[in-house]
Amino acid sequence: MTVSFRHTRTRPTLSRRRILATPLLAAPFIAGHAWAQERFPSRTIEVVTHAGVGGGTDITARMMMVQAPAEFGQELVVVNRVGGSGAAALAYAASKPRDGHTILLITQTHLLTVMRNRAPGISYSDIVGLARATEDPQVLMVGKGSPHKTAQAFIAAAKAQKMKFGTTQVGGVDHLAVFGFAKQAGIQQPTIVPFRGGGDIAINLVSGNVDAALLNPSEPEAQIRAGDVIPLLTLHEERIATLKDVPTAKELGFTSVHATTRGFAVLKGVPEDRIAILEDRLVKSMSSPLFRNYLDSTGQARSSVAGRQVWQAQLDAFNADGREALTALGVAQ
Amino acid sequence: MIAFLTGVQQIMTGELLLVVFIGTLLGIFVGALPGLSGSTTSALLLPLTVTMNPVTAIAFLGAIYCAANYGGSITAILINTPGDPSASATAFDGYPMAARGEAGRALGMSAVASTIGGIFSVLVLVVATPLLSRFAYSFGPPEYFALAVFGLSMLGAVGGAGALKSLIAGCFGVLLACVGMDLTTGVERFTFGLPDLTDGISFVPVLTGLFAVAELIDQATRLDEKLVRLPMAAAKLPTVGDFRKAGKSIGIGSILGTLIGVLPALGATTAAIITYNEVRRFSRYKEEFGKGAIEGIAGPEAANNSAVGGSMVPTLALGIPGSATTAIILAGLLVQGVRPGPHLFNEQPQFLYAVFGSMLAANLIFLVLGLFLAKLFAMITLIPNALLWPGVLFCSVIGAYAPNQAMGDVWTMLAFGVIGFFFRRHGFSPAPLVMGLVLGQMVEESLKQSLLIFDQRWMGFLERPIAVTLFIVTLTLLALPALARGVRALRGRAA
Repeated sequence: MTVSFRHTRTRPTLSRRRILATPLLAAPFIAGHAWAQERFPSRTIEVVTHAGVGGGTDITARMMMVQAPAEFGQELVVVNRVGGSGAAALAYAASKPRDGHTILLITQTHLLTVMRNRAPGISYSDIVGLARATEDPQVLMVGKGSPHKTAQAFIAAAKAQKMKFGTTQVGGVDHLAVFGFAKQAGIQQPTIVPFRGGGDIAINLVSGNVDAALLNPSEPEAQIRAGDVIPLLTLHEERIATLKDVPTAKELGFTSVHATTRGFAVLKGVPEDRIAILEDRLVKSMSSPLFRNYLDSTGQARSSVAGRQVWQAQLDAFNADGREALTALGVAQ
Repeated sequence: MIAFLTGVQQIMTGELLLVVFIGTLLGIFVGALPGLSGSTTSALLLPLTVTMNPVTAIAFLGAIYCAANYGGSITAILINTPGDPSASATAFDGYPMAARGEAGRALGMSAVASTIGGIFSVLVLVVATPLLSRFAYSFGPPEYFALAVFGLSMLGAVGGAGALKSLIAGCFGVLLACVGMDLTTGVERFTFGLPDLTDGISFVPVLTGLFAVAELIDQATRLDEKLVRLPMAAAKLPTVGDFRKAGKSIGIGSILGTLIGVLPALGATTAAIITYNEVRRFSRYKEEFGKGAIEGIAGPEAANNSAVGGSMVPTLALGIPGSATTAIILAGLLVQGVRPGPHLFNEQPQFLYAVFGSMLAANLIFLVLGLFLAKLFAMITLIPNALLWPGVLFCSVIGAYAPNQAMGDVWTMLAFGVIGFFFRRHGFSPAPLVMGLVLGQMVEESLKQSLLIFDQRWMGFLERPIAVTLFIVTLTLLALPALARGVRALRGRAA
């Protein structure tokens, strides 16, 4: 009884689904069995995302949730807390009890927000990875008018001359990837021309307003097929299925791995056994045919889904690289 | 044209037609209600469209836009109060006609003229948009900068509140566009540390506040006003004689309305008033005007509906809104993640087909509804304000909260409701503010992007032919009034 009482009182925003789902699903466990409080999850799990309804991250959450209720034995709901590049979502999660019933779907953007002290009271060490959901590799691309038709030619030219790269927001994930790539490839740090989104960047690649860009393969799909945008180099461990002819950085003799990733996390304080349950069920949910189909259709590898070991290591690496890059770029606070 | 028809055929599913039908019905309904205009309704329903798929959303808004312009004439004719600002010229002759017992004839002519004007302009839209889209890949940041400057140079003429007041409102809008994280530096501006403001001030609550909430406050100040409704029989199809008399007016209205609509900043209301003057100038029965001339209804009604199609041309092909309602439709597209511009036709032609198809369908639907149900629509004005406006506020609050689930947006909406109210009180129009908000972001971002592309050389703009052409057009239009005055002064001296 105590459980149900506490969570109704501490929850200022009850969604309609929650109100319907909670008494129906949680009540039998709590009232009927003495061991109810030991059981996890004991009520609806909230999946908090910073993306609006229908955005890529929101869709990832909903794709995972198709299979999840069967694995968890509980309902899940998406909570969209848009604003502040993830700050609103982090603040919402921080306002909830750390009992594992609130999980975050995070991207590198959340980590950057934390690094730049934009999420009050939350530091990187508060974020505990559960499982990776998607990993969309970055690919170096040029427009059809570019004089550099291979990755080698482009890198050679970029050593002699400062290139212009189209990215999204300055100080954002894409900008950091360009910074990292330039360092790893040994080219001059390029001039950054920021745009609103991948579509804009692709158009400006075609018209020659920018020399190159790092894009996810699905973004300029139409232009690649039309031959207007030419992918040169895959910044991934192995070649991408849809871009079989494009070599990886490793094949050219240097390590440069950059991707747009999404994965699940909780805030520190959730008991270890619950973290293990969450990881296990999330990975199982994302091994469903539907989620695999989603990965395939967006050109992402099925190996995108990974447990917390891989995901936490990736988060740690991004945190270290990101801090260094932000300082070097002068955008850290 | 064939490709267009195939596209429209593919896009016009039963579901979409239903949405268009609902949009048209709603458009006539709100158009007929004094106070609730097409732009207010579009702003109010914008949040609802966020949850639709983009094609459905734009078809829905397009249908409302078309039908509201027609609906406004019902109230203009029957109670001498334009239900939509664009119908103000219709009241000049429509009400006198109704007063002498010819309400059915006036309403019938209004429906037919509106449909002809509306369909004419959609056909122009079908031809003009792809032509403008040929420039697609030539449009980069420098060209968008030149376009935004062109759009901003029109600010003084938007909304019809006088150039100075419109410029003040426009500048306010441009300043509001500065709030949020700057794209090119990653620095937060004017956010006061509030996460709600990091991504800038969102369009939806601003528009809902400016149009719907402000109107509500305004209505609350004149609760005691009573409207007198004239009796009417069913609407009548115009006779051959009526057509012979008004045919020329419909022609003038359709052409002028489309042309005026295409110009950014000038919309349906201006088109209707200018057409009214021109129709009278070319009429053989000048003495009838103001006393119930059928030409005086046909001209403005054809014009205000053809301005709808006209103002969609710059909105879709260039991303520059041609009127307050298209500014809202543009915001709706941006919220959906669709950036209108020359690229739209090449990349997502289904949007254009949806717009064309839904506007054509809406024009035909309101012709039928208008002829058969005009009497019913006239009853709308009997809804008591005490029920209507609280309902509007209720929808506004939900609409502002829903897309982002953020209370901050509700506060923004209420704040802009108060701002919008004071705007009205002091004779400012909200339309230039909305235009400033939309174009302000574009002008700043495209300038910074251009300078990065040009390695900070300002002269780089001169190497871009399209940008230079747009700058010259802007300068010419700005200089035109001064030049005209000079010529007149010279002539005066010569005489």
